[in-house]
Amino acid sequence: MPDKAKDAKTGREEGWLRTIGSKIWYFFNSLKLTLFVLISLAVLSIFGTVVEQNAPVEQYLTQYGEKWTSWIMYTRLNDMYHAWWFLAFLAALALNIIVCTFERFPPKWKSLLVHIPEKFDPAIIDRFSHRETVSLNAGSDAVRDRLLKVLKKKKYGVSESGTKGDYYFYAWKGRVGRLGSDFTHISLLLILAGAIVGSYAGYKDFFAVNVGGTVSVPQAEFKLRLDKFWIEYYDSGQVKQYKSTLTVLEDGKDVLEKQIWVNEPLDYKGIKFYQSSYGQSWNRIQEAQIAVKHKGKEALGETITVKWGETAKVPGTRYSVKLAGYTGDFAYDEATNQVFSKSAEAVNPAIRVEVFDGDKEIATPWLFVKYPGIFPAIPNADEDLVFTGYVPVMYSGISVNKDPGTNIVWLGTSVMGFGFILAFFVYHRRLWVHVRETGKSTEVKIGGTINKNTLVLEKELKDITESLTSD
Amino acid sequence: MILSLVFFTFSFVFYILTTALYLGYWVFKKKWLGQTATAMAFIALASTSMILISRTGESGHAPFSNLWESMMLFIWATNVAYLFMEYKYKFKVIGMVVMAIESLGMLSASLLPYKFKSVEPLNPALQSKWHWMTDLLSTWGLEKYAIGWLDFHVFTTFIGYAGFAIAFGLSILYLIKERSEEKGSGGALVSAFPPSRVLDEMSYRAIAWGFPFLGVGIVSGAVWANYAWGTYWSWDPKETWSLITWFIYAAYLHARVTRGWRGKRAAYISIAGFLAVIFLYWGVSFVLPGLHAYA
Ligand code: HEM
Repeated sequence: MPDKAKDAKTGREEGWLRTIGSKIWYFFNSLKLTLFVLISLAVLSIFGTVVEQNAPVEQYLTQYGEKWTSWIMYTRLNDMYHAWWFLAFLAALALNIIVCTFERFPPKWKSLLVHIPEKFDPAIIDRFSHRETVSLNAGSDAVRDRLLKVLKKKKYGVSESGTKGDYYFYAWKGRVGRLGSDFTHISLLLILAGAIVGSYAGYKDFFAVNVGGTVSVPQAEFKLRLDKFWIEYYDSGQVKQYKSTLTVLEDGKDVLEKQIWVNEPLDYKGIKFYQSSYGQSWNRIQEAQIAVKHKGKEALGETITVKWGETAKVPGTRYSVKLAGYTGDFAYDEATNQVFSKSAEAVNPAIRVEVFDGDKEIATPWLFVKYPGIFPAIPNADEDLVFTGYVPVMYSGISVNKDPGTNIVWLGTSVMGFGFILAFFVYHRRLWVHVRETGKSTEVKIGGTINKNTLVLEKELKDITESLTSD
Repeated sequence: MILSLVFFTFSFVFYILTTALYLGYWVFKKKWLGQTATAMAFIALASTSMILISRTGESGHAPFSNLWESMMLFIWATNVAYLFMEYKYKFKVIGMVVMAIESLGMLSASLLPYKFKSVEPLNPALQSKWHWMTDLLSTWGLEKYAIGWLDFHVFTTFIGYAGFAIAFGLSILYLIKERSEEKGSGGALVSAFPPSRVLDEMSYRAIAWGFPFLGVGIVSGAVWANYAWGTYWSWDPKETWSLITWFIYAAYLHARVTRGWRGKRAAYISIAGFLAVIFLYWGVSFVLPGLHAYA
């Protein structure tokens, strides 16, 4: 007795689950849903092209005002292609495809394998909207041979039945064309899968590397050194291309050298390195020009060139000066007492020098190219140092991208191309032909179907009857 | 730059003449007018080809790198597609709509500001050449003429646009024809159109060409972006709009194949699709910010 009660209970639960399950299944097994999802994705995507994506909040505030901005943030319209509701539509697309394929593919496959009708009923021909009838002055055997020749030339498969004086033919061509839509749909699933793999297993990063500098690559056992960076120009002065020579280092050893430029990345162990930008380094220069200024004189004295990290004598004085630091966009953090670069641009270039009186370091001032002489470089001296110019070090901006999903996406796109060829350029044609001797002449009745492009079928039927009558 | 603009002027005149001839053929139904119209369409095609060829000579790269050049490609591709269709289906009245679209295209290209027309050297991101092709051509010292993803991407996309433009023309003819068939009172002019059933089917065929080509165009753009920007998809407005357009035509195909939407409703989707193409092509370039330099 207790067993029975339990059975009834689980039975009820299963039934309940099954109902929900079949409701969901039924929901996704709908071609109306397909149209709805396609149109919705199209319409929703428009918003993302109108509202700029991933911009700083301030920009939305100035553009849309406070009320709308909070609404944009709330609905994630500022990053809508990653918002849950947009992803939900993509998921619906995928589920819709999966369920519809499960429902439709097996019977379709079967009907393509077992496609020859068991019984040939000549009445079927009259029911086709595309049909032709011709009468030939020849015996049925001669007509049969001619027909078979024509169909063979047109690459039809033929199944024949009937007897002399009353032949039946069923002919077919282009069955694989029916699979085009399935290949296309599977390709979409592959592309989505590739995108998902990429977003979970991949990463993006960016390095700005000074020439000569080395960086370690995240999630990888190798390092990268920038050996050289240069820009090529057109005669007109426009930038033609910018290029970096990169060396891959493994365990401290050089293993590979490659030139990269825009459109020509380095691919090493599944990680790609792209030339994406360049600029002046914000924390290093090659050399600085420093001029001496004597108190009370307007004109600058002699200018010296100091190389990075090196020390030079300041002519006509007791002092020497070492180029010890550089920052491209000078900023000072009072809390930590630190100097830093506000941006990567040379907005306010400044150098730090160490000034020596003989062997003794007496000052470490910052000198500004745009504000010469605002702070005296050497305390209590008759001379001052003025930073007049510098030769920058270039950095090369390199984007890093690891995306193991890319290959799945490319596989998907190949499948899609194949699917397109089948879906749009291979038509499934099926012809029914009845050859019947009527006294002296023979009547040929031919009709059939095509899965798309009925104009082709009309032309085909005309072609066939013409070649039967002409020769 | 002079030569391509000279050919442009010639072509403009040729397209207007071609349109007039097709119109004349439609109104007067004289066979010789129809034949002259087709001949003129070929002359216009030759002239458009000369624009593209002379532009290639002037700029030293395939002429697909600014809006004006891409318009020439669009007009060229639409003309080729139209002549192919005329040859296949033997209906000439469709020519007047397609050639009117061509003339409008020429007009809008001529109105473009100078900076969209001039010969520009390729910026770094636009320089992509296939290695295999460069290697192959370098055996004869012709590596300068190698093409790459840029060319392939633009070319396939524009074949797609051409298919959609023709489908658009056919859909308009369909709506006119269908209406007169319904009323049963088609004037002599409308009765010169092919039967509405045929117009409907032809416009489906044009979309069945446009859809896969736009698809290949989108995919090749993604492949190229993966080389140039390091990511195959970045939801840039041009990319997104190409997807929107592609989905509209996907909806067209599904409505047709799975729900039997033909005729009027199909024609409306086809027209909506072409409006999306126009926005994708021109609207996005001028209205929305993005990574795509032009077209
Ligand atoms: C939302 C999920 C989708 C479902 C459930 C779905 C379902 C279907 C079905 C049942 C067919 C007809 C099958 C046949 O005639 O053999 C079809 C055809 C097709 N589908 Fe889809 N589809 C979906 C999304 C898409 C998308 C997003 C694309 C591409 C953008 C696409 C491309 C095609 C193509 C190219 C055809 C063939 C059309 C033709 O023969 O003219 N499908 N689809």
